[in-house]
Amino acid sequence: MTTSAQNLTSRNERVINTQTLGALPSIEYGLIRAHVFASLVTLVISVLFGILVATKFTFPEFLGGHGWLTWGRLRYNHTQGIFFGWLGNAFLAFFYYVVPRLANRPVLSRRLGWFLFWVWNFAVVLPGWVLVAAGFSQPLEWAEFPLVVDAFVVLAFVLMVFEFVLPFLKARLSDLYVSAWYIIGGIIFTMLAYPVGNLVPELVPGARGAAFSGLWIHDAVGLFVTPFAAAIAYYLIPATTRRAIFSHFLSLVGFWLLFFTYPLNGTHHYVYSAIPMAAQKGAIVASAYLGMAVILVVTNWLLSLRGSSGTVSKDVPLRFVWFGVVSYLVVSLQGSIQALMPVNRFIHFTDWVIGHSHLAMIGFASFIALGGIAHLWQRIPGTRYNERMMNWSFWLLAVGLTLMVTDLTIAGLVEAQVWQSSAPWIDSVRAVGSYWLVRTLSGLPILAGFVLFWTSLVTGPRLSEAITSGTSRVASESIVAFENVSPASATLFSTDWLSYAHVVAFGAGVGFFALSFLVLAILPGKELEAEIKQVAPVTMPTLTASEQRGRVIYGREGCAYCHTQQIRSLAADVRRFGAPTEPWETKYDYPQLWGTRRIGPDLSREFNLHSRDWQLTHLYNPRLVVRDSVMPPYPWLFDGSPSQPTQEGLEVLAYIQSLGRARQLSGFDHQTLASSVQPETPDMAMASEPSARATPPTVPIAMMGGYSLTAPVLHPASDRDDLQEEVSRGRTLFAANCASCHGSAGRGDGKASASLLPKPANLTAALFSDERLSSVLWNGVAGSAMPPWRQLPTEDLCALVAYIHSLHVPGATPSTQEATSLNEGKPLFAANCASCHGDTGAGNGPAAGALAPPPTNFRLKKPTQERAWDVLENGVPGTAMPPWRSQLSADQRRVLVEFVRSLYGPPQENSGQ
Amino acid sequence: MINLIVILVSALMLALLLVWWRWPAFRTWIEAPKYSMLRQERRFDHQLK
Repeated sequence: MTTSAQNLTSRNERVINTQTLGALPSIEYGLIRAHVFASLVTLVISVLFGILVATKFTFPEFLGGHGWLTWGRLRYNHTQGIFFGWLGNAFLAFFYYVVPRLANRPVLSRRLGWFLFWVWNFAVVLPGWVLVAAGFSQPLEWAEFPLVVDAFVVLAFVLMVFEFVLPFLKARLSDLYVSAWYIIGGIIFTMLAYPVGNLVPELVPGARGAAFSGLWIHDAVGLFVTPFAAAIAYYLIPATTRRAIFSHFLSLVGFWLLFFTYPLNGTHHYVYSAIPMAAQKGAIVASAYLGMAVILVVTNWLLSLRGSSGTVSKDVPLRFVWFGVVSYLVVSLQGSIQALMPVNRFIHFTDWVIGHSHLAMIGFASFIALGGIAHLWQRIPGTRYNERMMNWSFWLLAVGLTLMVTDLTIAGLVEAQVWQSSAPWIDSVRAVGSYWLVRTLSGLPILAGFVLFWTSLVTGPRLSEAITSGTSRVASESIVAFENVSPASATLFSTDWLSYAHVVAFGAGVGFFALSFLVLAILPGKELEAEIKQVAPVTMPTLTASEQRGRVIYGREGCAYCHTQQIRSLAADVRRFGAPTEPWETKYDYPQLWGTRRIGPDLSREFNLHSRDWQLTHLYNPRLVVRDSVMPPYPWLFDGSPSQPTQEGLEVLAYIQSLGRARQLSGFDHQTLASSVQPETPDMAMASEPSARATPPTVPIAMMGGYSLTAPVLHPASDRDDLQEEVSRGRTLFAANCASCHGSAGRGDGKASASLLPKPANLTAALFSDERLSSVLWNGVAGSAMPPWRQLPTEDLCALVAYIHSLHVPGATPSTQEATSLNEGKPLFAANCASCHGDTGAGNGPAAGALAPPPTNFRLKKPTQERAWDVLENGVPGTAMPPWRSQLSADQRRVLVEFVRSLYGPPQENSGQ
Repeated sequence: MINLIVILVSALMLALLLVWWRWPAFRTWIEAPKYSMLRQERRFDHQLK
């Protein structure tokens, strides 16, 4: 007998065993095989989905022509496949293996088991995938399968209660092992929490619904994935080392702490949001407690493995579990830290969080589930097992995952750094392009590892011999000693009520569910409801039927998974996107579309930000207007060109253009709109709570509509060498940001120009003043696709001004015609042009205020003679400028051209000539 | 909210520790399942053999 075994025996001399052993319960090996097979098939498919999703970051056009293979739908199927297909089946396989052992009773019914198998795979996973691919889904994190599928998920959990919980209830064990506690609690809790996360947000809108979603986002991982993975780890460690776990008391303390604190973490996904600060802070505190609980749990596991390093290195299933245990510690501490406000403000919405979730779902849950499957597979008569291949599988997975998580963590930090600056959003996309490529490549060893794992279960020697050799390794002294314990020595705890431990576990699931529901959803919801009632403008418009349908399309294509609709109370968010989101702004959002990730910018204030043509062109192919965008194209919303949207295309456009409309039209920010940009705005949530969100908004750097600001006049360098350098830099900037519309040579013939109206300006056909270029770059051009670029550094804007000047073809000199000719033009101009362009051609005629784009100010923009003639001939499509061919004769138009050129002002006023 | 969580977690922990400290037999009882689990495991192994 080993020393440790002696100690354990000594410590437990008074243990009572109330379990009547009798004959061994039967185990449903057929169901185990079926679920293992289903788990591995769905795992490989789900990982393939994931690799396609990752590939699209680098090659956005890849398989981009079909709706069912678009990024959003694949992303939904990737996570739901991992959740239901892989982990769900793996856990079920483990339940069939372990419940009879722990309850000393068989599962309720083999027939029920097969029914559950069919429901899980053929009423949940498969139809879920098909429906999502076909465009029927729910845009809610970890709840993407449509409601019809959700009904079967709930049914499956009810069946699980009968199949796996009932045997424990019937057994009435007084010594319920911790794995059983986790299995019972997890099943009960998820059965209750699942409808909350999937159905309630459809009934409770906006911020209030987000509180429920937050609950489920964390419960999905914390109370479905974690308890079942913990159950496997708690079982597999002693079963492999043949030594009892270090402390069952600590394991139960960990159980209670996990079940208490996990549900309370939910709102940490919405820190700095419109959800009441008390709920946010409660979630942060609970996250800190969770970190401590996990330290306790992992310490117990690692102490249980003390002295077993040889077994860990030799036994691959145990090594899988060991890796999972270490990952659990890392990911949980990471989670606790990233919930803290000073960290959360930087890394939330970035790839850091994606790395975190992959570490949780692969590093922790999947590694432990793989260990569990490999372990039980060796104990199913007649199965094959290839240990060498299993070993390769472990290393491929470990290397691939480490690379992926490291890469995504760094990518997240890079994104956070760019987001904190005033650089354009697209810079953050450019900055992490190489990291996304590495992430995709890191998925390949992971896929290979999973395939090898599968292969290792169908190759190698049959296992009847291996089992024998495996048991020969058993150090069974402690077990023998335990069996000799005198039952009479533990009278104090042999009372009947202890045989209801399973009921306590059952109650834990129900009780903590109710508590989290109350604390994280009901109470904050009440507060939000009262606030909305008090603050929401009476005239707040609802979405039209068309916009509502567009919202459904927006959700089905996964737009909310790259574009948030929540501006946090942080200076970086406010400066970039506008005032923090108020709860009332989302009061008609069923379900909420706040999002938890930003690959593209927040869209809360999209109203008036981009023109209709820009939006349509961007939807058709984002790279037509934003060269380095990684957004997927949506050609199935068009009939072959951006100017021919389908009904669905128009509806999604209508929805996007409605975002932020209520805020702008309500006058909510009326008193503060005139304020200028405040780049050093303090973080409002930190400044004064809980009314932080009432802090007046600032004008965001990317916002244009309705915000006409006086632009600083940007002058190119006066020194010739410096100017050349500026022009050179401006050329690069122009190619990156402007050429997709204006063309590489600035002739207004870029790829996007075909679908934009008015056409992008031909920058070679007019001489622009510094003032005009500064104004356009700063504010954009209302009524056109030209957005504001004031988020670029001033030196970049100056470089662009210098480069645009260099594009000009000489010819826009003031008129040198005789005075008589100009005298003829003056009445013509006054009669036909001055109402818009003003008497002096300053673009300030009586009608000018109502026109967008505004009429040309000829002192600031001086078209060449050819361009002026062309405009008079053909007008400017998409603006108020009509063709004058039919109204004016050719001579009159020629006179007008000369007159307009006389308005240009003296040459010395033209900077940059 | 924070107070509620802190109080509840502290109460939970204190209750467990109190029981553990006050009733030594509780320690024996609560550690028992880890052995019965191993015994079951061995019974199943024997069946497979």
